[in-house]
Amino acid sequence: MRTTTRVTALAFGLAATAMLAGCSGGSDSSAKAPSSLVIDTAFTLETGDPGRNYVPTGYMVSKAVYETLLDFEGADESTPIPGLATFEQNEDATVFTFTLEEGRVFSDGSPITADDVVFSLNRVKGMVDSKANFLMNGVEVAKIDDRTVKLTTATPSLKLPALMTNPSLAILNSKLVLANGGTTDNTDAAEEFLNAGSAGSGPYIIDSIDFATQVVLAENEKYNGDEKLDFSRVVIRSVSESATQKLNLEGGDSHVAVDLSGDQVADLADGVSVTSGPSAQTIFLLLNQNPEISKITSNPDFVDAVRYALDYEGLLELAGAGSEQATGVIPPAFLGALDSGVERDLGKSAKSLTASGYNDETITLEYPNDYPVGGVSFTPLAERIQAQLDEAGIKLKLAPAPFTTQIDEYVNGREAFSIWFWAPDYADSANFLPFAAGDKVGLRAGWNDGMSPESVKLASAAANATTVDEREIAFRKFTEEMQKSGPFVPLIVPGSNIATAESITGVAYNSTWTMDIAELHSK
Amino acid sequence: MAKSINAPRRYSVKSPLIGYLLRRFVTSILLLIGVTIVTFTLTNLVPGNPVAAALGEGAASNPDTVAAYVEKYGLDKPLPMQYLTYVGNLLQGDMGTSLHTRQPVADDLVKAVPATVEVALASIVVSLAVGTALGAVAAYRRGRLSDQLVRVLSLIGLSIPTFWMALTAFNIFFLQLGIAPGSGRLSPIYAPPPSVTGLYTVDTLLAGQWESFVDVMAHLMLPVFVLSLFTIGLLTRFVRTSVLEVLDADYVRAGRAKGLGGSRMLFGYVLRGASLPILTIVGIAFGSLLSGTVLVEAVFAWPGLGTYAYLSATSLDLPGIMGVGLVVGVIYLGINFIVDMLYGVLDPRARLA
Repeated sequence: MRTTTRVTALAFGLAATAMLAGCSGGSDSSAKAPSSLVIDTAFTLETGDPGRNYVPTGYMVSKAVYETLLDFEGADESTPIPGLATFEQNEDATVFTFTLEEGRVFSDGSPITADDVVFSLNRVKGMVDSKANFLMNGVEVAKIDDRTVKLTTATPSLKLPALMTNPSLAILNSKLVLANGGTTDNTDAAEEFLNAGSAGSGPYIIDSIDFATQVVLAENEKYNGDEKLDFSRVVIRSVSESATQKLNLEGGDSHVAVDLSGDQVADLADGVSVTSGPSAQTIFLLLNQNPEISKITSNPDFVDAVRYALDYEGLLELAGAGSEQATGVIPPAFLGALDSGVERDLGKSAKSLTASGYNDETITLEYPNDYPVGGVSFTPLAERIQAQLDEAGIKLKLAPAPFTTQIDEYVNGREAFSIWFWAPDYADSANFLPFAAGDKVGLRAGWNDGMSPESVKLASAAANATTVDEREIAFRKFTEEMQKSGPFVPLIVPGSNIATAESITGVAYNSTWTMDIAELHSK
Repeated sequence: MAKSINAPRRYSVKSPLIGYLLRRFVTSILLLIGVTIVTFTLTNLVPGNPVAAALGEGAASNPDTVAAYVEKYGLDKPLPMQYLTYVGNLLQGDMGTSLHTRQPVADDLVKAVPATVEVALASIVVSLAVGTALGAVAAYRRGRLSDQLVRVLSLIGLSIPTFWMALTAFNIFFLQLGIAPGSGRLSPIYAPPPSVTGLYTVDTLLAGQWESFVDVMAHLMLPVFVLSLFTIGLLTRFVRTSVLEVLDADYVRAGRAKGLGGSRMLFGYVLRGASLPILTIVGIAFGSLLSGTVLVEAVFAWPGLGTYAYLSATSLDLPGIMGVGLVVGVIYLGINFIVDMLYGVLDPRARLA
């Protein structure tokens, strides 16, 4: 018995010694990388194919690996600047001519030509199952010469330059993509190739993608654009829990945390800095104008009663750093945003409530309870709205449900009174015109074009403006009209908070690609 | 004529053990078919529109995109047809394409399951060792201070909310003390090992990546610690109760009266006698570790089955949800089958039941 014990102990001792000896060096083949930039974010990543991507993490990756015809400077999303090309437009904003920068190459060293532009844009246009397909609706692409491409629209489209900054419309190496199953119709089969490799001209190439855990980017050695890289390797990790992102950053395990809420950034440890500002999202109340859905919410006086009963400053307390009151359906970063929003006026609210014929009925307020937007959870927001409206004599019953359950009711216009949000698909005020009567969001509120010809007219004027000045005036008028007679009550523009180690500089929030990784530098 | 006791034992279909195992196997297959029906039906009863959830607002408003999407994923077919297609594909190893990762569900699960298995296996081994030791000590020292202490500790282990414990442990051991690594399975400076088993501990060793192996072990530490607390508490209480029952049995008292004691009595008679209920609870605990680590995986950014299940559920990813349901069902059936087999081996009465 004792001998057996000794032999066992000896065996364990030898095994442990062997393991420690192994750990101490020798023929270790651990794949250890040079210094890397580590970014933690709650993954929304479905594909490495920029033409099929439509989600934030995917945009961040595409922005680093691919380039677009136009770009934005830092956090300024008001004016597109040259990217791979410069552009000119005709007087009625229907023809846009893009001239490619000379000498630019893809990651395999081959030159970028007009053929690549035509192929890349027509590929997105042809892939009707791509979520990004609608970006190319009504746009015709034609090659003029090897460095020049013409984009044409049937109606004025001053939003087109902003559209051309969207990473879904990145320029791909057409020869490489065609050789790997790429087409310009819905038979395209290049996604698998693009999931594993790069066909772009951006400062990075894809080293590896694991859609559940991390994306690793390596420096594109053939890159000959303007960015000067401080990090030759970037690891974007999937960390869904924002509390974990915060701890990783404070403990030095990561350099950037993308999804911290306003409360979390107010409580960060030393050695961490935050770039805060309003995002491009708008959280709003929807009051359905279809009497068959609700006789109460469809009364315009009732909408006014709600609009003036709310204490917007009080609601803002729930949103944290970087957030602002929504002054209209267009958030402050965009053309046509109003300077100030509605203020609480209980007298005005009471008057409208009386005019509406409201008779103490309890109204159900629906909202997604598992989908915080910019760190704003809808449950406390709904509770505060309930309390504020109660002070104005309006009785609410709260009806939370998961996002996936609520969204179908919302998009089909079956909700009478609900809290929702709108995030832009691309960086332009035209993104907010669907709030008009008869348009996509308007119809979700049961608001057809016959109910507000004025909003339809103003939206059309904004969409068809041919100069920036004319456009700004048109958008402002549209926003004012929406505030006056629309079935939406804009509440909050939540903040965007990007927290970084103090050694990192160059963070600039963008509403589409969150931040440009290539612009991050080390002090 | 009596058979010689030295004659080789021949198992035939008539052998009670083989018959018992065959019955269990056939039952497991039938249950598996039931699992596919239940997961498919329940998943499709969930309110909501998977197309709107998967495409997002912008794309869901484009009729062409919606039509192409519905056709691609067969969402326009009647439910029975969808089920038959699903089962037909399943038999060929095709679990469909995830609506949220756009990857084959089988590929997603091949990556997610080993991550969870790795942490669950380590947790069950630690729990079994610690829980059995504590439970046996408590039973042997019934009523004394050490017994009281173990019972209080096991109760604490059972009562602490796992999510809170995970965050607290991460804060203390990583942020404050700096003795544990950050989240995930591997530090970002290391590339994942070439995948052979999907278990990083094994794959790093197979690849001779010693530094990575140490890093993987370090990353396992906190999730295993947090997950083990509950299971240790559970096992401690069960082992204590089972051992107490065995300690009162006639054969143990007889053994003691004849002078048997120490480790021979503990391992040879007491724990062996108490093993059946312990085996049951270990099986259940292992099953729940494999299928119920969502919160711990979220805190430690552990890309396992729990994380995949959560992401599938929140994005109404029907193929993903069905895949997870099926895998969890198979895990439970597999564990139950193994436990039943061990029952049959350990207790001859079970073979005849």
